[in-house]
Amino acid sequence: MKTLEEKWTAWIDDQLTGRELEEFLASLPDRAAAESEKQSAKQLGSFLREQALVLNNADFFSHQLRERLDRESGSGRSERDTAQTGWWTIRRLLWGGITSLAVFAFCTVVVLREKTPPSQSQYLTEILTYRVDPTVSPNATISMFQKKEDHVTVLWVDGLQSLPAEYATK
Amino acid sequence: MRPRLLPSIAIFFVVISIADAALPEQTVWSGLIIASNSPPTEPTPAEITQIEATLRKLFGYSQFQLIGEARKTLKTGEEDWLASSKYFSLQVDSRGEKADAYVLNLKLFQEQKLLLETRAKLSKASPLVIRGPQVGDGQLVIVLVVQ
Repeated sequence: MKTLEEKWTAWIDDQLTGRELEEFLASLPDRAAAESEKQSAKQLGSFLREQALVLNNADFFSHQLRERLDRESGSGRSERDTAQTGWWTIRRLLWGGITSLAVFAFCTVVVLREKTPPSQSQYLTEILTYRVDPTVSPNATISMFQKKEDHVTVLWVDGLQSLPAEYATK
Repeated sequence: MRPRLLPSIAIFFVVISIADAALPEQTVWSGLIIASNSPPTEPTPAEITQIEATLRKLFGYSQFQLIGEARKTLKTGEEDWLASSKYFSLQVDSRGEKADAYVLNLKLFQEQKLLLETRAKLSKASPLVIRGPQVGDGQLVIVLVVQ
């Protein structure tokens, strides 16, 4: 023997038939209100079924959501970390500047050294031009030569006016 | 470790750079010398001891007396200076450095008279010797050396 609630649920689900249905309908005090309530219950049922279909993908959405949350919280954390650790602190900027200056100075010296020839040259001194004033020393002649074995270059001037010994004074 | 290593390397480079940059300065010694066979009154100038034998062979004199000198440290390679005695003066005008040598304009004066004018490329490893006028029983010799 079904209770009234069981019969009501069965009627809503269209599972009451025959004599049982007739007896139930006859027992209703307001049949129109009951029919309206049945429709509402059916609408609610179909709505819940639709939502249940949507929730079949719940894991996927949950995963997407979690990933997004992780990303946002992750970037927020890294920004926060950067701000807290502050790689470009004044001290590091200072050392960075010193290092850059040192590298610049080193490169400059390397370039200058390449331009500056070594101090021990193999070349002998060269006489490029020479001249005596013909009015002062009309008989003067000049020659030049290099003593390669002694690494000495000589400019030999002949015919200059001889001077007395007092010209040897300091 | 790393934060201390970086400054150390930087300081090392700065020290090396400064020390190295200070090297190129060189000195040119210019001397007015009377070569003679007179008995020695003074020792031979230290600046010409390395070429003393060469000077003896060249001029046939045994004694070398310094009558005037100048020592100039070249920083830019474009300096000028004067080496002088009582009657002679050597005016030197350095016109810069070229191929391991200094280009020098030289003027030898006997008081106000210009005896000789020459332009030479003075090598750092090769002295320049100039034979000047006869003075008494000796000879005026001019020597320029990069030290």
